[in-house]
Amino acid sequence: MQIILQKVLPVFFEDDKVNNSQLWNSTLSFNKGENIHIIAPSGSGKTTLIHFLYGLRNDYKGNISYDSNDIKHFDAEKFSIWRRQHISIVFQDLRLFTEQTVLQNLEIKRMLSPFHAVNNIAAMAERLGIKSKLTKVCKTCSYGEQQRIAIIRALQQPFDFLLLDEPFSHLDELNRQKAMELMEEESKKRNATIILADLREITYFKSERTLHL
Amino acid sequence: MPSYKNIAPFLSAGQNNISRWLSYIGLGVGVLLLLSSIQMFININELLKDKNSRKDGADFISVTKTITNENMGKDNRFTEADLAEIKSLPFITDAAPLISNQFRVKASAGNIIPFSTDLFLESLDEKFLDTVPPSFTWREGQADVPIIFSSDFMEMYNVFAPSQDLPQLSDKTMSSVSIILECYTPYGVQNFKARIVALSDRINSVLVPNTFMQWANKNFGGVSQVNPSRIYIKTTDANSPQLLSFLEKKDYRVNKDKTKFGRVKQILQAIVSGLAGFGVLVILLAMLLFSFYLQLMIAKSKDNLQLLLTLGYSPDWLSKTVAKKWIPVYVIIVLSALLLTAILQFCFQHFVMYDREELSPFLHWIVVVVAAVLLVLSIITNYKLVRKLLYRLG
Repeated sequence: MQIILQKVLPVFFEDDKVNNSQLWNSTLSFNKGENIHIIAPSGSGKTTLIHFLYGLRNDYKGNISYDSNDIKHFDAEKFSIWRRQHISIVFQDLRLFTEQTVLQNLEIKRMLSPFHAVNNIAAMAERLGIKSKLTKVCKTCSYGEQQRIAIIRALQQPFDFLLLDEPFSHLDELNRQKAMELMEEESKKRNATIILADLREITYFKSERTLHL
Repeated sequence: MPSYKNIAPFLSAGQNNISRWLSYIGLGVGVLLLLSSIQMFININELLKDKNSRKDGADFISVTKTITNENMGKDNRFTEADLAEIKSLPFITDAAPLISNQFRVKASAGNIIPFSTDLFLESLDEKFLDTVPPSFTWREGQADVPIIFSSDFMEMYNVFAPSQDLPQLSDKTMSSVSIILECYTPYGVQNFKARIVALSDRINSVLVPNTFMQWANKNFGGVSQVNPSRIYIKTTDANSPQLLSFLEKKDYRVNKDKTKFGRVKQILQAIVSGLAGFGVLVILLAMLLFSFYLQLMIAKSKDNLQLLLTLGYSPDWLSKTVAKKWIPVYVIIVLSALLLTAILQFCFQHFVMYDREELSPFLHWIVVVVAAVLLVLSIITNYKLVRKLLYRLG
């Protein structure tokens, strides 16, 4: 799979934000297998870009295509197919089912298009130090724990692209590295691309390309 | 793929139970009302079907002009234009005049039955007669005249015969009695031998063949064209509202017995149709209430449903899975209503109608078909509503 951006620019952006950007208003493509690191200060449209790429918003000029399919023409049904098989995400605002248990949060994603067996959930949770939280209601977990739940959830499905929007903002250094390691490992299993957007450079993320937004 | 059980915890279905149960009960009551009304409608049709007087699925009715104080003394016979108008009406299949004799006729039964009376004769198109024996023909020069006699007249005769010292007659004997018809002509009395060849349940008259009537009217009465005082109409439904209102408008008089059932049937069917309409209304209200419940449930679970869609759940799959949850509920509701209607029908036939044969104790197939259609419609409506609400989220 390939994601192609052609002169993408949010409709609500002022011109001065665009001038120094390596992404906005440019034409570029992200190919399967090469990791992309997007570095951007606050307010430069990091989350907006990730949402554009995932198809949650379409208030932009230009085109974004999955392979040669312009996603502006996708309906909810078509998006659901791509999201089940080709593209996964860790949201900055996590988007978990707060009233359900951690396990329910992970299982609801896993059973949709299972990449792992159910017992792998516990193994991943153990690696990221949240195994004891699996039976707890999600809203009782700390933000850092919830961030790790969101990361594990994103790894339950097959994907060509893994979109990460500031995935470590509430994690300490050790947990960041563990989480990155797990994600890179899972990405390799699928020969997939990680597109990581963060405020600053993540040194332990092995990326082929770094782009400043 | 996951099942409804997997996504159920993500939907806040447990709340707002009252409106959900109210809508279930409403739907059940509505379906019961509709099904029993349809069954009752069919029952009324079965019970009030007038099986005897119909021929080829048609009713034959005698029509005269109503005689009032105002039109007394005037010519109240039907003109050719009246007849043409009646024939042209869509709810009247055919019409024919009853031609009466234009000369004086006297009948006597000879020496066996010492009885003599002035008589009237009529003739009618054979298509309108219920019994036409092959002998009911007359040719010029024939001395015998066949007669079709009204069963009612026969009954009347047998009622007053004993008081007049006359013998009562059976149907068979009646046909063997020879009657002498004395026709008064301008040249004197001409006698014919008459014989009753059939009795008619339908026509209250003394009928002779058309050929005889025409010949006699021309030769004895001196008229060849006679306007009839009454006509017979053939209609597929003697109880049709259009026919009744036409007759009323024209001030035509009919045998009320013929249309009495029709009026009762019309009123009963109107009541039952009203009930069925009310049933449909209750069903619609219940569906509306249920749609409010669904909207509320989906609104309350909006964030979770939206997140499921964001995570890659297909809106089509979600709609089908959520909608499927109510299929057993609808099946139970409609089947219960159907069962209750069947019990009501059985009780009606057994306890109210005392096992009358013309009424079946079981449900009519139309009721079962309506129940099936209602079930399918409820399921489809529910699915479409859920789908619409979910696609709005996506």
